Amino acid sequence: MKSGALVFLVAFMALAASWGGFVLAPQVQLSRSVQTNALGSSDLYPLGRPGLAKQGLEVYRANGCVYCHSQQVVQEGTLCEIVLTEAGTNAAAAAAAVAKLNSALGTGDAKSLLAGLPKMILQVADMNAAGPALKTLEAAGAKAEARVAPQGADIARGWGKRRTVAQDYLADYPVQLGSRRIGPDLANVGLRSPDAGWHLRHLYAPQNEVQGSLMPPYRFLFETRKIGKEAAPDALKVSGKLSPPPGYEIVPRPEATALVAYLQSLRADMPLEEAPLTPPAATVASTNAPASLTNAPTATPAAK
Amino acid sequence: MSAEYQNTTTESEPASTLTAVPVWLIVVTLLLVYWGAVFFDQHGGWFSRRVYGPYVSIPDAERFYPLPASGPDLKRGRALFESNCALCHNTDGMGKPGQAPVLAGSEWVTTEGVNRIIRIPLVGLNGPLKVKDQDWNLSMAGMGAAYSDEDLAAVLSYIRASWATRHRRSRRKTSKR
Repeated sequence: MKSGALVFLVAFMALAASWGGFVLAPQVQLSRSVQTNALGSSDLYPLGRPGLAKQGLEVYRANGCVYCHSQQVVQEGTLCEIVLTEAGTNAAAAAAAVAKLNSALGTGDAKSLLAGLPKMILQVADMNAAGPALKTLEAAGAKAEARVAPQGADIARGWGKRRTVAQDYLADYPVQLGSRRIGPDLANVGLRSPDAGWHLRHLYAPQNEVQGSLMPPYRFLFETRKIGKEAAPDALKVSGKLSPPPGYEIVPRPEATALVAYLQSLRADMPLEEAPLTPPAATVASTNAPASLTNAPTATPAAK
Repeated sequence: MSAEYQNTTTESEPASTLTAVPVWLIVVTLLLVYWGAVFFDQHGGWFSRRVYGPYVSIPDAERFYPLPASGPDLKRGRALFESNCALCHNTDGMGKPGQAPVLAGSEWVTTEGVNRIIRIPLVGLNGPLKVKDQDWNLSMAGMGAAYSDEDLAAVLSYIRASWATRHRRSRRKTSKR
């Protein structure tokens, strides 16, 4: 070979560059990640999975769930939604303020405009734009809040509230990111279906629970056994062809219980610095101080 | 040897020689590098571990952080008042005879600006003083060293929200020394 040294050097550089990009750079970026505070609260995140769910991760891994289910939610943009929560005492003024903010809503009368609260009345680009809109509504006596609404196909499908980030996987090893979506994404399955009974029935007979499901049944995670003195409390309620013979019951093996505990623990909906979100129950702090916080001079001190 | 092969024998063997890279190729390469650098600067987040798409930088994501509470922090003010000031001024702001003058409805509290009352907790107050036609001659220690400006502003906001007829928020800025 005429220039063997050069070919070796170039090949080495190419491999070194890809190793640097795919291994070294992520290591430098993320290896020091630790539990952090969620955005705007003192809650720590992630808290880690409970012991049974940790065992469930091993069952998930052993059964190759990752080959058909991803655990990563993609987000394509973010918007800020102005949600009217209370119209206040002056409905006409509130309706006028709403119509002023969103001319598309200005056609109806005040009553239909303010029906069905809380109601999303406007989408704006970001929180900076939301501030003036909230002020306008406040001036009319109405109460409104600005909610951060991540956008994207996955979020529209209900597969998540926001995108998933590295922080979400901190408690897991190995991380079951997955790359194929033959089944739905599971990053938030604990949020979507918190019912353990449903998960067990679904593992035993997926097509009974989800019409047209492609998932194979995982019946070897269950045991059909003779009913003892009394029926087991966690016996599966299956009907039709799959129902056990009389005097028998179907109970989950420990693997199934662990797997379901893991599935229930899957949720990535905490607002984070890198993935802001308005949690469902939270409300934006009102500028009006609660009445109990202002003492009249004669008032007796309130009990703590 | 047939006639058609005779022509080829006259041509020279192909060989590699050194030639200069054309200038246009260098220019195009440099332009591509420049475009790549600009694109990275605008969208790459400089490899920050806190930047994920669709956000291009931390300030970009901060546009969606919750709005700061616009009202004064009366809750904190109340807690601070009750654990510190209320020992002498009483939790209802009526003061205690021989210990501290009344706050409720006092002209020192109800006055328009915040600049006078803010100095009392900040640096303290000694000597004769008239509050609601009552003469006092006591001394109150300054708290400026022990409490942050935010804390003092919260306490004053609470005092003014509770016992002044007209109340404007005591801002942290005003409390700056």
